[in-house]
Amino acid sequence: MSPSASSARRGTRAMRPWDWAFPPAPLSHREVISAQPAEPTDRPPLLMVHGLAHAAWCFGEHWVPAAAERGWPAYAVSLRGHGGSEGARKIRRTLNRDYVHDVLQTIIELPEPPVLIGHSNGAVVAQMVAERYPLRGLVLLTPAPVHSGVGDLLAIARDRPVDALGATVGRTLSMEPDILFEGLDETTARGYSDRTGPESPLVQWELLLRRRIGPVRCPVLVVGTPDDRLVRPADVQRTAESYGVEPVWFPGMGHDVMLDRGWDDVLGTVLDFCADLPPWGQAPPR
Amino acid sequence: MPEQDEAPAKRARTRRRAAAPVEPAEPIDRSESWAVVGAGPHGLSALKALRQHGIAADGFERAADLGGNWNFGAPTSRVYESTHLISSKPFTQFPDFPMPDSFPDYPSHRQVKDYFGRYADHFGLRGAISFGTEVVRAEPVDDGAAWHLTVRDVVSAAETTYRYAGIAVANGHNWNPKLPSYPGLEDFEGEVLHSADYKDADVLRGRRVLVVGAGNTGCDVAVESAQNAAHTWHSTRRGYYYNPKYAMGRPSDQAADSLLALRLPLAVRRALFGATLKVTVGDLAKFGLKRPDHRFFETHPIVNQQLVHYVGHGDITPVDDIASFDAHGAIFTDGRRADVDLVVFCTGYLVTFPFLDKDWLNWTDDHPHLYLQMFTPSFDNLVVTGLIQPDSGQWTLAHWQGMLLARVAEARRARPGAVDGFLARAASEADRRFSAGTHYADSTRHYYEVAHQDYLRALQAAILDLEEAS
Repeated sequence: MSPSASSARRGTRAMRPWDWAFPPAPLSHREVISAQPAEPTDRPPLLMVHGLAHAAWCFGEHWVPAAAERGWPAYAVSLRGHGGSEGARKIRRTLNRDYVHDVLQTIIELPEPPVLIGHSNGAVVAQMVAERYPLRGLVLLTPAPVHSGVGDLLAIARDRPVDALGATVGRTLSMEPDILFEGLDETTARGYSDRTGPESPLVQWELLLRRRIGPVRCPVLVVGTPDDRLVRPADVQRTAESYGVEPVWFPGMGHDVMLDRGWDDVLGTVLDFCADLPPWGQAPPR
Repeated sequence: MPEQDEAPAKRARTRRRAAAPVEPAEPIDRSESWAVVGAGPHGLSALKALRQHGIAADGFERAADLGGNWNFGAPTSRVYESTHLISSKPFTQFPDFPMPDSFPDYPSHRQVKDYFGRYADHFGLRGAISFGTEVVRAEPVDDGAAWHLTVRDVVSAAETTYRYAGIAVANGHNWNPKLPSYPGLEDFEGEVLHSADYKDADVLRGRRVLVVGAGNTGCDVAVESAQNAAHTWHSTRRGYYYNPKYAMGRPSDQAADSLLALRLPLAVRRALFGATLKVTVGDLAKFGLKRPDHRFFETHPIVNQQLVHYVGHGDITPVDDIASFDAHGAIFTDGRRADVDLVVFCTGYLVTFPFLDKDWLNWTDDHPHLYLQMFTPSFDNLVVTGLIQPDSGQWTLAHWQGMLLARVAEARRARPGAVDGFLARAASEADRRFSAGTHYADSTRHYYEVAHQDYLRALQAAILDLEEAS
């Protein structure tokens, strides 16, 4: 483990007084899209968590049905205030720890510990879940950096200063088609882009901070693309290094690797990783 | 797992079907595994933590189902029909398996048992537990390198002995009734009940009831009695603080933890608590209750909003300690008397480990002396979990006790001698208390009292030490 990587890690944290004193508000409805394989299976469930301004639909479009078709129980959850989940009215007051609560609440309904797949900010949430819950495996797709996204914001400011300024003052980061996709036709890309919604400014600001993630003992897969216009490849590399792994790169794809042309190849890599996972509790500590 | 075939849980199931099994004389070898005694919350979290760390573990439970104290209706369950949690969800739940959002702030005992069932199913624990199996004897062998565990099938009475790498003891400390003795109690012609056998309010209906003890159970029973009995007397040795379940629209323990989150010192927290109680509850002496003779945090918190209410409505008469009994009732230390039909002793429980020698638990002065309330100075493979009474919810602590236990078992397996430092500390710190600066009022019920923030920091430090050493 490189020194820079280890400095972003820290020991187990049992004390969480803020969580005890100010627990996330319970939700009465959370949207979960799921698909089951035709045959009963002993494979672990896959739970997919979307990033900023997206919702469960971004995985529901291709990955959830395709994973089930290949024999994996597949689930995607809409975090509070997104998609069909409750909480839209309070979205401007939502924090990533509320999203962690939403993911844990989804996990407790699953029959066994899942592989958690997080995209972008969903990968940050997934890492926050992984430090407190014993996952079977952890997959980070074009992960937003937990070691501070200031560099990414500056990179966005260079290309699209108005977007960066807007995000800085609390507007939702732009999800225009050319930012998310490289290989889709214009209509499809526009259609996906139009489905994105508002994001919590607090969550966007949280991404600028450096967050320490406790020990994660399950196997980790990191996926990136060199053509990402939101998360710099250097940040994906650094996230992977903090877990002692090399990222798997998919050149020619945009940030939304579960929707862009080539989603199938990425899913194949993820399912190969899942198929090789040791039984729960048998992963050697890193 | 390949060894699953010989696992005791599976064995117990096949044995029930097979007729007249021949027990082998030699212990069945499970020396790569740990045994977990009890399938209540602490047993479940120990079992899960061990398996999560790749350490095989078998559970043994006397009852037919999991839940321990919360398995309502089982012989060793001590919850009653109306039992609800007295601490709210966030700090009461297992931190890696929160209670569902659909549960209320203070779930009922049925919801709690359902929750433990979900936990066990999610982490695949049920198949690893032998139900209807009582542990009758545990003995160290080979100078403490392993343990022999003898278990008895509660139906067939057949006994089996296993050899284990280590034993996690989670048999609970709230099941063996503690009954005080009073002069004349044997002459009393009414009914005498310990809260251990109190199941619902039917027994109280229309009768004159004396409730003894002001623990949380005593206050619960006094309130139920006020709602059902002809009249209720509530005898306490001293005055207590009666905390409301809600303060400022939030569960009061969450309000309390916000002061901890702000890292306010004890004196400030005490002052704020006193002010809040003064505003919400008021001066207890005006209700005829005794004034507390101790400062806040010095006794286990009582969370009961209704007791004072019923005292104010005249349904409960607070009375002093009992001096003696006669045929018709009790005489109190202040000379008053009450004629009653039923006495309910809510006087707590004795900590009992029927299958272990007290010496192994460093037992002197009526209670074991254990490092972090868990580890003995003599064995690195005999660990007690659940021997704590926190000023908060219990199962977050159960989770971290399980995690520490698993880390110790893991380190011990990876490198013999890895936990020697741990044992040395167990000897020197066996009497360390986790009171966050207060002095608990002297009573046997406070041997196991811990301030949750203090205790959890100590568990966390021990886990970090092991992480750094590995």
